[in-house]
Amino acid sequence: MAQNTKVADKPDVLEQPEILRPPTIAPLVTFPLEVVVPEGRQQTPAVGQRATRADGRLHGLGQTKYIDDMYFPNMLFAKIKRAGVASARIKSIDTKEAEAMPGVMAVITGRDIPCNSFGPSLKDQPVLADTRVFHAGDGVAAVAAVTEQIATEALDKIKVEYEMLTPVLDPLESLKLETPGVHAPSANVYGHKVIKKGDVEKAFAESDHIFEGTFRTQMVEHVPLEPHATIAQWDANGRVTLYSTLGRITLGRADISRTLGIPMSRIRVVATVVGGNFGGKNEITTEPALALLSKKTGRPVKCTFTRVEEFIASTTRHPLVMDYKTGVTKQGKILGRKIRLVLDGGAYCSWSETTLGKACILSAGPYNIENLYVEAFVVYTNKTMTGAMRGFGAPQVCYAYESHMDDIATALNIDPLEIRLLNVFEEGSLSPTSQKLHSVVVKESLLQAAKRFGWNTNGNESAKTNGGRS
Amino acid sequence: MKRRGRGMACMWYPIGFTVAANPSSAVVKMNEDGTATLLTGTVETGQGSLTILAQITAQELGIATDDVHVVSADTDATPMDTGAIASRTTYVTGNAARLAAEKCKKILFDVAAPMLGVKPSQLEAKDHKIIVKGFPQRNVHIGDVANHARLVTGEPPIGSASFNPETVALDPETGQGKPFGTYVYATQIAEVDVDDETGEVEVLRVVASHDCGTAINPMLVEGQVEGGISMGVGFALEEEILFDANGRQINPNLTNYIMPTSLDMPEVEVDIVDSYDPTGPFGAKGVGEPTLVPTAAAILNAIHNAVGVRIHSLPATAEKVYAAIKAKREQQPRQIGTGVPPAGGQPVAQ
Repeated sequence: MAQNTKVADKPDVLEQPEILRPPTIAPLVTFPLEVVVPEGRQQTPAVGQRATRADGRLHGLGQTKYIDDMYFPNMLFAKIKRAGVASARIKSIDTKEAEAMPGVMAVITGRDIPCNSFGPSLKDQPVLADTRVFHAGDGVAAVAAVTEQIATEALDKIKVEYEMLTPVLDPLESLKLETPGVHAPSANVYGHKVIKKGDVEKAFAESDHIFEGTFRTQMVEHVPLEPHATIAQWDANGRVTLYSTLGRITLGRADISRTLGIPMSRIRVVATVVGGNFGGKNEITTEPALALLSKKTGRPVKCTFTRVEEFIASTTRHPLVMDYKTGVTKQGKILGRKIRLVLDGGAYCSWSETTLGKACILSAGPYNIENLYVEAFVVYTNKTMTGAMRGFGAPQVCYAYESHMDDIATALNIDPLEIRLLNVFEEGSLSPTSQKLHSVVVKESLLQAAKRFGWNTNGNESAKTNGGRS
Repeated sequence: MKRRGRGMACMWYPIGFTVAANPSSAVVKMNEDGTATLLTGTVETGQGSLTILAQITAQELGIATDDVHVVSADTDATPMDTGAIASRTTYVTGNAARLAAEKCKKILFDVAAPMLGVKPSQLEAKDHKIIVKGFPQRNVHIGDVANHARLVTGEPPIGSASFNPETVALDPETGQGKPFGTYVYATQIAEVDVDDETGEVEVLRVVASHDCGTAINPMLVEGQVEGGISMGVGFALEEEILFDANGRQINPNLTNYIMPTSLDMPEVEVDIVDSYDPTGPFGAKGVGEPTLVPTAAAILNAIHNAVGVRIHSLPATAEKVYAAIKAKREQQPRQIGTGVPPAGGQPVAQ
């Protein structure tokens, strides 16, 4: 609508009763159809070019279609009822009142899922919790309705009776045997890894100094701009198409096939342009539930996570408790290192196995350490599940080994750059798993960064070189 | 008073899955005009991976990035892929795309050889042409070859291939083995100001020197590094999911879960370390995840350098840093009149 100028012979549309008002339509976006291809995309050889992305133009023009922009005729909107309690036994779920609401087309619970478990390594996660709730973000029922508002209102009409159980929240408590198992009778420790190389106790005995430190990290979310979203469309041939924000469609299809008990050939997963993943969209979430809602209603069903669901019902980064003990010579050469890692694995395994493995292997840092002992555990707690997140445990252990390294350097009065150069991997170095490393450039990266920064090992040069900026 | 400090952190990070097979497959087909299509099961999640794959395919075929259209992420249409995870797309999917393009190119060479009167082994693909090695004037346009392949010889140029990094299982007792195909390395150096009266930390500058093997697209590498650093700043100083005593999150929203915004971003200087990995496509490894790995460590070391306190748990919120500064002051009797700052950090002129 152009400005507030009234057209003389027409009354102001805003004064009309709502029903007579013309719908507000956003003005058409015009963009040049004649595409100018940037030079970087046209040059050969292609490798090494600063080529712009093929999707960049669409992003820039606001033309990219994310799942929430997609609409199919007769599409329904789904919402998931979240448990809101961290640990409980589900005594009953009453969906009658919700089902009776006008506009509600279907309600399902965990009992409707043919095979209600999935997970990339341990199949310990339900699509919708049916008998037990393991963390507050667990879904217990799914509603499909003609509008999002009706679906949201219907959630309040679903009555769930819980027998409350005491949640296990601290990973170190969970590690103790006497703690009741989160997934009893399974043990709380669901992953354990060891790396053993040389003789660490002997190395400590030969060291001039021993340093110890404990470091902890927190739970964080991926916070992608686009939340998890899926549209499921079950057709009359019994074939289901899922438009999803999944970052791994091959695994996603296998999990959907398993949980629904239908062959993979009847499932099509299409991942659209995903608005940020960072590891958070590497496994299915509500896809099987949406497929069943679509099957039940014969209509396409869309579900987009709210930002709250993105926090409470998707995976997060593992909090770690990391104990380091390092023996060094007077000159700062590392002789031996002992590390214990405890990963808070949250309510379900998800990508904890991978995170445990990478954290364990990487925890000694990019350093030549002949005597090493690393022991790592991942434990269940009744908290939001932790899974894949950019770095799989590496940012956590890097914070620990590099803080520890600077503490050693400070105590020995050695420059942080010097102590690293003394210990870092070189071409052909053996990793903690005794893998012979190739194309190793950690020393080059240290020297280049130091040069660019203006790192002077004799004093704090940076304050001098950047004095003008303070 | 604001005190300035500097801190460094280096890291290593593997490409691909830990031991477990994580293959990728790809299909490359050339159109009759010398443009091509790549089919891949990986998903573009905002990092620009499809552009990288187009560049790798184009390089192998001797055409430009814009000549390659990428069809991705449809289980009905595209071959399997382990997905956008573990910083593996450039290395694993990239290798599959290169191998598929190589097979497609082999068909083109077989077709072009009689056209140029040489053996296929004497040919190379370059600048949209099939060229006789050493005799660049003896060439034929790649589109003419592709068209000839369809219309005359009846061998449409298409190739498919898979790649899986070579690994050796880890010994369960000692953890010894070869878990990954390759690793990347990086160093980041952070410069911070810490207000010793409030504990507030401001990250001024991060110099990031990253190895990614050959940078297939330096601009996208820089983009990844800048994005990773923003995530690292949040991990270091601000972000934390908090729970109540009953195990429910108390800040599941962007009002109370504090993340860095553009105003919190330091000046980022990206430096790509010269490196070549013979096992990667055109020497490339990867860069996605490692960009965030050393950031928090470098910032925390810079805080230590500025005010002399070691923060033993993340995030280093202003409250936590201030409490540590206060505890340190209480431990050390104040030396009146010496003018010596409490730690190695330099006072910052206001």
